[in-house]
Amino acid sequence: MQKRAHKTGRANPWVILGLTALLAVTMAVSCMFGAVDISMDDIAGRSQIFWQLRLPRVIMGALVGAVLSVCGAAYQSIFRNPLTDPYVLGVSSGASLGAAVAILLGLEAYLWGVGGLALAMALMTVLVIYKIASIGNRMHTTTLLLTGVCLTLLISAVISFLMVLNQEKMDSIIFWTMGSFGSSSWTDVWMLLPVAAVGIGVVLWYSRDLNLLLAGSEAAQSMGCEVEKVKRMLLLFTTLMVAFAVSSCGVIGFVGLIVPHAVRLVAGPDNRKVVPYAILCGAIFVLVCDTLARTVLRPSELPVGSLTSMVGAPLFIYLLYKNKKGF
Amino acid sequence: MIEIKHIRVEFGKRRILDGIDATVAPGRITAVMGPNGCGKTTLLRCIGGLLEPTAGSVAIDGQLVGSYTARGLAQKVAFVRQQAQTDFEFSAFETVLMGRNPYQHHLQNESQKDWDIVEQCMKQTGTWHLRLAKPGEMSGGEMQRVMIARALAQQTPVLLMDEPVSNLDIAHQLEIMRLLRTTDKTVVIVIHDLNLALQFCDDLMLIHNGKLLFHGPIAQGLTTGNIGTVYGVKSHMAEGRIIFDY
Repeated sequence: MQKRAHKTGRANPWVILGLTALLAVTMAVSCMFGAVDISMDDIAGRSQIFWQLRLPRVIMGALVGAVLSVCGAAYQSIFRNPLTDPYVLGVSSGASLGAAVAILLGLEAYLWGVGGLALAMALMTVLVIYKIASIGNRMHTTTLLLTGVCLTLLISAVISFLMVLNQEKMDSIIFWTMGSFGSSSWTDVWMLLPVAAVGIGVVLWYSRDLNLLLAGSEAAQSMGCEVEKVKRMLLLFTTLMVAFAVSSCGVIGFVGLIVPHAVRLVAGPDNRKVVPYAILCGAIFVLVCDTLARTVLRPSELPVGSLTSMVGAPLFIYLLYKNKKGF
Repeated sequence: MIEIKHIRVEFGKRRILDGIDATVAPGRITAVMGPNGCGKTTLLRCIGGLLEPTAGSVAIDGQLVGSYTARGLAQKVAFVRQQAQTDFEFSAFETVLMGRNPYQHHLQNESQKDWDIVEQCMKQTGTWHLRLAKPGEMSGGEMQRVMIARALAQQTPVLLMDEPVSNLDIAHQLEIMRLLRTTDKTVVIVIHDLNLALQFCDDLMLIHNGKLLFHGPIAQGLTTGNIGTVYGVKSHMAEGRIIFDY
């Protein structure tokens, strides 16, 4: 039995330690490269770039990567659907519409003008979706998913319409929707950090319940899971995390869908492992992508959202091929 | 002891259960029988606290089912469902280990005791050799036995089973029914095989059009008259077995 014992249950502390060390190294390396390279001895000389641009950007990259991955892992279990990603409930489309409207109104000049409106619209969209999908005090997850998909399509159409009417601002809107940490500041960090810390804590706390939810709501309930409460708490905090993340850096795809799956392929399906590993792997993955995004074609930058797909897809296909197992 | 009082369940305008009253004594195996769609599963869901009846109540050991916490109820009642369902790639062992959830706190890991209980339950249901198997690698019957093992791992005094042996071959049907006989659990089981029920169950709850047609010792309830009324088929008894006429 001992052989099985270590394979089930909570995350392995050595893996956590190793991934944390890897994250620290990745952050340090990421701090050094960009439009201007900064060596360790040079931090004092380029303190403005390092403290005001590079460091908040690196922290945001790690935070957003962690948030998207943890939310992806949670959603895939709540909805019992391997294809769900953090944007499935319409958070990203709501945020994009908010950002598009803000850009059209010329709010880019104001601190958190675009981000603020994006956040407000993201939360409003999800509220509408929840309202439609809740029956009494119960949340119907299939209706939730379908409403999210429908509203996302509707909002995308509205954004396209707005862009056609305002072609001179099309580039800014498209660039925002592709996601970038180019304008990340300490304000973004301080906005996202507390939400991410609490939200990640909540998902970790309920990671055992996520396993039970995979067996279906009634089965989970008969095994002692307070299904409705757990779902409500998880949906509330994941939505908040994604809304704050997406409104500060735009839509970064692929991470929330694939990182949890990649972790599952290596560590198995137990969410008590998947959630903490995905948090760290997601942070590392987005950091690596963002570092590549700002160095590959420097001094110009690639949108990090396209990099996450370009780097992540081959890596994931390799893992799938190597493991040769389905979901 | 399970006390069912005046249970009525309605889905929209459709009345599924209509005033069911019954008391299930501890340690007995009660078969719930009746034609498809007569409300057997609905009754089981009400007893298990998974469905709140439109009217009436269910109490287990003197306490209303609705007033238990989810954990508390999961330590009293385990449920084996009609369709075994797991997603993602949990092994059979991990699946059965989930049955230990009601005894663990959020961040607590399973102990050696939990693993031992899981091992014992998997051996009892003949699934120990499947412990590393994933859902796709098991047959429907094997999966069903894993689900029974998971319910046993919950170590509850009450076991609710919704057609647990329908997917099993006769050898495994007998194995599971024999296992139920050896436990001192209060078992409420939805079962379609009249003779299997007659052989292994103590009591019968026979449901007809949402009402309880008979509740009592199974030998008294499974009469050719009752079978004719409920299922609309002719039968006769021969050497203590029900033989259908066609």
